[in-house]
Amino acid sequence: MWNYEKRLQYPVKISKTCPKTAQLIISQFGGPDGELAASMRYLSQRYTMPCREVAGLLTDIGTEELAHMEIVSAIIYQLTKDMSIEDAKTAGFDAYYIDHTSGLWPQAAGGIPFNSCEFQSKGDAITDLFEDLAAEQKARTTYDNILRVVQNPEVRDPIKFLRAREVVHFQRFGEALEKTKRKLDERNYYFFNPEFDKQLLRQ
Amino acid sequence: MPDRTALLNELNDISFVMNDVTLYLDTHPLDEQALELFEQSKNRRKQLMQEYEQQFEPLTVDCVCVNSHGASQDFCNYPGQRHFTWVDGPTPWEGGHI
Repeated sequence: MWNYEKRLQYPVKISKTCPKTAQLIISQFGGPDGELAASMRYLSQRYTMPCREVAGLLTDIGTEELAHMEIVSAIIYQLTKDMSIEDAKTAGFDAYYIDHTSGLWPQAAGGIPFNSCEFQSKGDAITDLFEDLAAEQKARTTYDNILRVVQNPEVRDPIKFLRAREVVHFQRFGEALEKTKRKLDERNYYFFNPEFDKQLLRQ
Repeated sequence: MPDRTALLNELNDISFVMNDVTLYLDTHPLDEQALELFEQSKNRRKQLMQEYEQQFEPLTVDCVCVNSHGASQDFCNYPGQRHFTWVDGPTPWEGGHI
């Protein structure tokens, strides 16, 4: 069950139209390391997590990623809501415009549609947590890349917030991984699947 | 005229403290200092959510109070009338009120 709270987790107020910037930032909506993939990854993985605390963490981070998706979407919306056809053409946003006008649609910066192949839910606690750690770093790199390209401080401000959250989530997943390892039977030193092979969990 | 932006900013700040300390408590459930911070921010947030509903509009359906007609006259189609206030207020992604 989820409840909606009618506010952004971090405010977004962008006064200058720029479809070019929107086209880059849309990757963090529907791209390979975007917030939609992040949320779906964690919310899918949690059901079979053997450690209650880790399942709880996946729920909470997966939920926060939905709020991040809303921030990214708000950025894209505000960058494009007042664009003219000329703006769209000169920014190279015209191909997107043909299919979606100024509507929001999850895709990568290069135009590839959102796809659940961007993430994995393997049913193996250690595998999934390593994936989560990598995912946070990949998203952090993407935000770093955006910050190198985008100069508008009104856009950079919420992007910096999102980048900082990737760092915190990485830290929390690292702690979750250590917790999960401690639950494994000491004979399972290769960290093989404790979710399915339950005898490999410490009694 | 009450300041919508100031109250919302305060609410955003305290809510963020709660978000962050929640994740920390997920992996450190016995940390006394964090438990204390959680309790404090939870109470303050509850208070601010109520205040926001009274002065402007509800931010969650749990905050909807059908007898408060929505104090804010802007972002409201039925000012002064008893109505469902859940859709009152600016959309969060609009950014205009920040």
